[in-house]
Amino acid sequence: MALETITEKKVLIKGNYAIANAAVMAGCQCYFGYPITPQSEIGEFMSGKMQELGRGYVSAESELAAINMVIGACSTGVKAMTSSSSCAVALMQEGLSYACTDELPVVLISVMRGGPGLGNIYPSQGDYNQTLKGGGNGDYKMIVLAPSNVQECFDLTYKAFYLAHKYKNPTVLLADGFLGQMMEPVEMKEYPYPEIDNSAWCLTGAKGRDGRVIRSYGPLAEDRCEFLENLFGKYKQIEENEVEWEEHNTEDADILLVSFGSTSRNVRTAAKICAEKGLKVGTLRPITLFPFPNKRLAELAQKVKKIITVEVNMGQMVNDVKLAVNGKVPVELIHKGVGTPPSPEEIVSQIEELV
Amino acid sequence: MATQVFKIPETFRKDFKYTFCPGCDHGVAIRLVAEVLEELGLRENAIVAASIGCSVTIYDFLNIDALEAPHGRAMAEATGIKRARPDKFVFTYQGDGDFASIGLAESLHAALRGEKISAICINNTTFGMTGGQLGPTTMVGQVTTTSPTGRNLEYYGYPIKIAEHIALCEGTAFSARVSLDSVANIRKAKQAIKKAFEVQIHGLGLGFVEILSSCPTNWKMTPAQAHERVRNEMCNIFKPGIYKDVTEGLK
Amino acid sequence: MEKDFIIAGFGGQGVLLAGEVLANGFMLDNKNVTWYPSYGAEMRGGTVNCTVVAADEEVSAVQKSAADFIIVLNQASFDKFTSKVRKGGTIIVNSSLAKIQKLRNDINYVFAPITEIAQEKLGNIKMSNILALGIVSKVSKLISIQTLEKALDNVIPPNKKNLIPKNIEALKLGYEYDLLAV
Repeated sequence: MALETITEKKVLIKGNYAIANAAVMAGCQCYFGYPITPQSEIGEFMSGKMQELGRGYVSAESELAAINMVIGACSTGVKAMTSSSSCAVALMQEGLSYACTDELPVVLISVMRGGPGLGNIYPSQGDYNQTLKGGGNGDYKMIVLAPSNVQECFDLTYKAFYLAHKYKNPTVLLADGFLGQMMEPVEMKEYPYPEIDNSAWCLTGAKGRDGRVIRSYGPLAEDRCEFLENLFGKYKQIEENEVEWEEHNTEDADILLVSFGSTSRNVRTAAKICAEKGLKVGTLRPITLFPFPNKRLAELAQKVKKIITVEVNMGQMVNDVKLAVNGKVPVELIHKGVGTPPSPEEIVSQIEELV
Repeated sequence: MATQVFKIPETFRKDFKYTFCPGCDHGVAIRLVAEVLEELGLRENAIVAASIGCSVTIYDFLNIDALEAPHGRAMAEATGIKRARPDKFVFTYQGDGDFASIGLAESLHAALRGEKISAICINNTTFGMTGGQLGPTTMVGQVTTTSPTGRNLEYYGYPIKIAEHIALCEGTAFSARVSLDSVANIRKAKQAIKKAFEVQIHGLGLGFVEILSSCPTNWKMTPAQAHERVRNEMCNIFKPGIYKDVTEGLK
Repeated sequence: MEKDFIIAGFGGQGVLLAGEVLANGFMLDNKNVTWYPSYGAEMRGGTVNCTVVAADEEVSAVQKSAADFIIVLNQASFDKFTSKVRKGGTIIVNSSLAKIQKLRNDINYVFAPITEIAQEKLGNIKMSNILALGIVSKVSKLISIQTLEKALDNVIPPNKKNLIPKNIEALKLGYEYDLLAV
């Protein structure tokens, strides 16, 4: 399904295909992956397309192998990626910790499904913590982008490759089964970002120079402290430069609804229903989950009376919202454990209970 | 007239410090790798995927590009490097624990896929860096810190014969086991490493060498005793030889 | 304008494809549109359905409590989705595979023996799904069959383009079906 071409006209495709097309068009040179629902279309598309284009493709023996193949490919400076879902992304956490410490431009497409454990294949937002708080060891952060429609699945995949290379930092496109399986018209424009020069650090064979070592082993405590300070200096830069969010009707809102990804679609509709009922409701949707729009949330906390986060999990992002507003206003949670997001009507009735 | 009989290969880093225990064979193995890289003109085109364990320090010795892989994942990372840059010479340098315990899936699948990479595996029958625990190649009866009365079959089962397993994979072009217990065997080892590198250059598939190696510290032996053990015990169980060579008969 | 459609039937009736054609049609008419399938355990054995939401503004919520137009191609879907038709909305029922029965009086019913027409006039019951879209076009007045013809070309892969004329015939048969016959 779906061509890989730059077209003037829109094409109706699934989120998973939008992601795969964007990756190919961004110049992704290698794809390594292992199947798991609900993102298998990505690997299926890549298997044919990458071979057709003479690029790298491996049906990896496991997600452990897949993420480490991506690390290997990225160490040579090329664009490379894997895609997976929840319980299988769990297997990649070791590799992601290494990739952050090695400062490699790994791109991971994480299409969330129900958990914990095997869970089920319905959509979910249960891996907010897995992605943002790290399942791997040590202090590290990944850049995390959260699309809410199929066009954004495409556009933010481009952006994921760009930011990963710009900051030499693993970057995750955090989608969910809802977005992966949904079809919407997509405009497939050309990759809009500049190519990043990786020649100063990538492994190419030590021609006319000393051998470069990409390593995470730091035997001396002092050196390690300095390394971590620098690493977190980079994260601070990312927070200053790259935070992105979308907000509606926040100017005179009494209630602010915060949600990310596919859930924010139902939240927008719920907010419209609330407005019809005379409630002053604004919405904020973080597009980057790291960096998180902390400053903007703190500003809005000065104006609104209540913040409500809506999530398809047991309440994960709500903790970051609480940190951002630091007790200034009450922060409540509307949630559903797993599945498609709560319907706008359900959200509205819960808002009415809370206010 | 003085004749130079030994020199440090150019491929070594100028500032390297010898960090292995006295009598350990890692030093010899790394020197052989360096010599072969030089003889085949590969230094400036090589990328090594280093592993976890004593073998990790290869990047402190060799002045070549290196990527340090998580424990067991060197073959996956080497696969990624080679698929991204097929023009590069890519090899791994791993211990038996890394290659054949935690990384067995990666190793076998790289061999089955016929990855055009080379792999060197040091088999010293133990997890050396962590203090001599039982590993996948610990011999039946061998005492380690986690087999205090010796490896018995009831609790631990059998050790793996790595070179034979890799030879069984259809994507393998060359698989051999060598030992470093004598000058003659060191020469044979170098020949095997060279062959394992050449099959990659010719695009024939995976080139693999298992190197039987001493670990005097963890075996609690002198270097001489340790090499006796390699010769008399290990070579009886892990028989040196060439287990697969697709270039045989080719010219 | 924002209109919700659900197309439902059993596996093999081509309901997902029909939804894809409909969604492509709305895209060609420059509407915002979202297609979403039922997936998961429901996919095997039971009923299959997909939702298509077409709107002038950005499509936000996809899965709502009710839909404006629901097309059911078998009895199980008829049973399941009758209650989901929005008040004043329409349910299009394949009466070849579902009993003619009106349980609600606040919605419009359209009954058509879709499978039988496909068999008799086209010699292929697999055309039922596209034939149903012809009826949707006529009943909803939201999309023309000319647009749906173009949409078919978007959806049918290059190696099956020879099937397009037959599909267009199915669309027309659906469109021209005399709704007052039942």
